[in-house]
Amino acid sequence: MQRITIDPITRLEGHGKIEIFLDEHGNVANTYFQIPELRGFERFCVGRPIEEMPVITGRICGVCPEAHHMAAAKAADAVYHVEIPRTAKMLRELLYSAFYVADHATHFYVLGGPDFVMGPDAPVAERNILGVIHKVGLQVAGQVLQARKAGHTVIEMIGGRKVHPCTSIPGGLSKGITKEQREEIEKLGRWAVEFAQFSLQLFNEIVLGNKAYVDLILGDIYTHRTYSIGLVDENNKVNFYDGKVSVVDPEGKRIGKYAPHEYTDWIAEHVEPWTYLKFPYLKKIGWKGFVDGKDSGVYFATPLSRLNAADGMATPLAQAEYEKFYATLGGKPVHQRLAIHWARLIELLYAAERWVELATDPEITSDNFRVIPTATPTEGVGIVEAPRGTLTHHYWTDERGIVTKANLIVGTTNNYAPIAMSIKKAAQHFIKQGVVVSEGILNRVEMAFRAYDPCFGCATHSLPGQMPLEVTVRDARGNVVEVLKQFC
Amino acid sequence: MKCLVLGLGNPLLGDDGVGWRVAEQVRERVTEPSIEIDCHAGGGLSLMERLIGYDRALIIDAINTAQQPQGTVTCFRLEDLPSRAASHLASAHETTLSTALRVGRAMGAALPAEIIIVAIEAQNVYDFSETLSPAVARAVPQAVERVIQQLSEWLRKEPQ
Repeated sequence: MQRITIDPITRLEGHGKIEIFLDEHGNVANTYFQIPELRGFERFCVGRPIEEMPVITGRICGVCPEAHHMAAAKAADAVYHVEIPRTAKMLRELLYSAFYVADHATHFYVLGGPDFVMGPDAPVAERNILGVIHKVGLQVAGQVLQARKAGHTVIEMIGGRKVHPCTSIPGGLSKGITKEQREEIEKLGRWAVEFAQFSLQLFNEIVLGNKAYVDLILGDIYTHRTYSIGLVDENNKVNFYDGKVSVVDPEGKRIGKYAPHEYTDWIAEHVEPWTYLKFPYLKKIGWKGFVDGKDSGVYFATPLSRLNAADGMATPLAQAEYEKFYATLGGKPVHQRLAIHWARLIELLYAAERWVELATDPEITSDNFRVIPTATPTEGVGIVEAPRGTLTHHYWTDERGIVTKANLIVGTTNNYAPIAMSIKKAAQHFIKQGVVVSEGILNRVEMAFRAYDPCFGCATHSLPGQMPLEVTVRDARGNVVEVLKQFC
Repeated sequence: MKCLVLGLGNPLLGDDGVGWRVAEQVRERVTEPSIEIDCHAGGGLSLMERLIGYDRALIIDAINTAQQPQGTVTCFRLEDLPSRAASHLASAHETTLSTALRVGRAMGAALPAEIIIVAIEAQNVYDFSETLSPAVARAVPQAVERVIQQLSEWLRKEPQ
């Protein structure tokens, strides 16, 4: 048996490793997807006050500290049995919408976009943000940086700091915003709506206008018929900050919705001997292995699953794009995983519109941004949609509010099983007897999981300056017969 | 000359936070108003954005070459970064600092002409802890001296 190793994965958060085992005919026998996990976080939390969690958990990851901040803050509210004021909820959601704009824009233009804008077979040296700029124009770089700056400005105004917000506390926020700040936030939000529309137009021209890309998206290679989950509001519209988690089967039928405190009734974790990672699955359906279908409890939690799990978008421009999306791709639900990139841009537009909606609400500058908790703290769960998937924080405390136990299911964790399945399917399709393992093929395998925007471990713990892609091919006895290296 | 000294890493991930510890000690010894000292927990574009507006930057970071003893302090220019060393200068989520700098410069952003890295060899970067391992903790004073030496050199070249 030959073994091909892709290590580390380019443009993937954290450290990852894919091993592809070939049989004696040179076909893919199996694939394993392994990552080193950060250790000891629960132990780190125990013994600290619950109100520290929103700040500490933001340090788990440098990519989405805002998501951890919000999930932990909501869990802390629940621990103290406190309902936060409307203004506090809006301020948190406003910060979160601005964060989504910055994060989704970065993913599309820097991480996922190069595969489409430059093409999956383009030389690796060109398949990056610089290649995108070269092809689409310098103006795009300015827009992306502006979108990030706009998002970070709002995060700093509401969250107190640019990257790691610190103002959400049990019962609401430690500060509100002034009328002047509100005006600036609204102005930035209106610009963000235009930017999101521009991004969708670009996707329309470059990707949907290219038959080869459309065929790649719609083809069977990147398709998995699994369950979809995502947070929805009371009207079953996509919401990133609050609501219930909607669960939809592979045929698009909603099998239920769960509130944060009910998550253990719905989600369980499967253990495999070859990895320390646990694979979450739907408890009511059961674990049947890494397989598609209605009888398999495998689900995914991404921008696409959120669209599948909802009845629509809560803002008008995003709703129009939502309808176009399903009309173009043949109705709900959509299972082609590369469509996650398109779904992400629809969410980008929704986030920008929601940003403006919240910024123009008359109560957003109210002083009523916190209630002081009075109940004895016990236990609480907070759920938000991180850009990479449903994020669940669960804490238990003693009567003083000191954490005694913590459990986190982070966004990407939800997608371990589907990512492993997508890698295997793509590898089986692209690596066959007699086919030389070219960089283009390996990149197409990587595209299978890049769509999920996976984030493993801590973002601040990043990869080398020149990230190497190393491919090791081993013979049946494990001897290295070929090593391919490239720097991208 | 406006200079930024930046401790890079995650202060909750064991030796990964060594850049912050060094920066905090440097802060106590530097009074020169043209030198700003800060800590940062991000790579790629976010790191590039933090560097805007400075003539020179000195980044202190944990590095994992696995080819030198724990706690070894090295100093090099960004362009000489050992390619296989794990550090924070790239964010796999987005792009490398080098690419991000090219994007920023293409946009006309005022980015430092010179970026120096002071790196401390470290391996214990996967466990949540606020404590440095002994070899890395012992290297902190040496790294601080190396930073001070570099700053003095810059100040000598361009006296305020």
